Amino acid sequence: MLITIDLHSGVPAYRQLVDQIRLQVAGGRLRPGDDIPSTRVLSAELGLNPMTISRAYALLEEEGVLERRPGLALVVRANSRATSATSRVAQFSRAARPVASMARQLGISGKDAGEVLRRLIDNDER
Amino acid sequence: MSDVMFEASGLTKEFGAVTALRNVSLAFRGPSIIGLIGRNASGKTTLLRHIVGLQLPTRGQARTLGVATRRLEHEQLARVGVVPDAPSFITWMSVREQLRYLSAFYPRWDMARQASLLDLLDLFVDADIRGLSTGSAQKLAIVAALCHHPDLILLDEPVSNLDPIARDQFLKLLLDIVQEDGATIVISSHVLHDIESTVDWIVCLNDGVVAADAALDDLKDQYAEWRVLARTRDLPDRFADVFVVRQTVINPRGARLVVRAADADLAAFQRAHDVDVDVAPLNLQGLFPILVNNGRH
Repeated sequence: MLITIDLHSGVPAYRQLVDQIRLQVAGGRLRPGDDIPSTRVLSAELGLNPMTISRAYALLEEEGVLERRPGLALVVRANSRATSATSRVAQFSRAARPVASMARQLGISGKDAGEVLRRLIDNDER
Repeated sequence: MSDVMFEASGLTKEFGAVTALRNVSLAFRGPSIIGLIGRNASGKTTLLRHIVGLQLPTRGQARTLGVATRRLEHEQLARVGVVPDAPSFITWMSVREQLRYLSAFYPRWDMARQASLLDLLDLFVDADIRGLSTGSAQKLAIVAALCHHPDLILLDEPVSNLDPIARDQFLKLLLDIVQEDGATIVISSHVLHDIESTVDWIVCLNDGVVAADAALDDLKDQYAEWRVLARTRDLPDRFADVFVVRQTVINPRGARLVVRAADADLAAFQRAHDVDVDVAPLNLQGLFPILVNNGRH
């Protein structure tokens, strides 16, 4: 599991972790049944406080992204809500907020900004 | 499983005319790494000294590991590890002799941990104490405080004299210890950048008053900086919205605010004032002046 946490960002570390795991599940990089590293392993790898990791895992369990089976590792749940179209759009929408704000400041219309985005996504930026 | 390791209620400490702690009520719960922050002379060291009974409250209560601090016995103190702000050792001993001497007081002293800490911190056991640099003396104090697997670890400015590599290793070590021993660690520091990466809880003192006592991530969730840009009309002279904690730069076209607001507040604010808002999170360095200000009395 490839995770990068900026420990000096004002974005809470637990939220960075939740967002990145949710994104990887939604994008299919983490698949149902995949093992999630233990708190201990991830803490050593990222230099992150174990309480922070437990908090993130608990939230992802609550959201139905991860599932804990007694005595076994935490795994990605089948039919996770994170993979639904609604959830994927919501994730993208959150990330796009600063871009929308910039477009407004530059006086770029929604239609033109959408066209820029379309070109970037389809990889034919000129 | 959250144990109260230390608890203060209505704790006030006066030194003559100076009040070092004012009506402090809080609990340190573990396992956790708690960052004790505050400006100079805010009461951090005085609070740490109360935990081990080196100072006693003028008024109010202090309990460590369930026992009133004026009645702490070896049984409780042997479960505590302390790195003081100015460690002192027996100068004619070597590092090895000093540690052997200390180990006699602690039934839980772990020679394997001693060896691995000395190795990790790159401290030479045959060195004479009197020849140690300030940084090496601080490393020895850290080794001496951690070998007996304490349940409660108090660190007063432990990173101030460590070089960047030793500092990094030390902070990782704290994460290991909290996992291995389920310990509760209280670390006081001015170096917010260092402790930000390690602590999960913040206690901020200002002028002897508790100005913040919360999970670090909750503080980051609660506060944000809003960079406000006017759209069509000028900004007001000041924003009266209740969630605005601080307004720093403000002119007719732009303003920088610190807010404690919910998502719904943002949308309403943009509509009400006809503005664009860039939301920027605040890290510990950014939060610090706001927390300190909350503690003004």
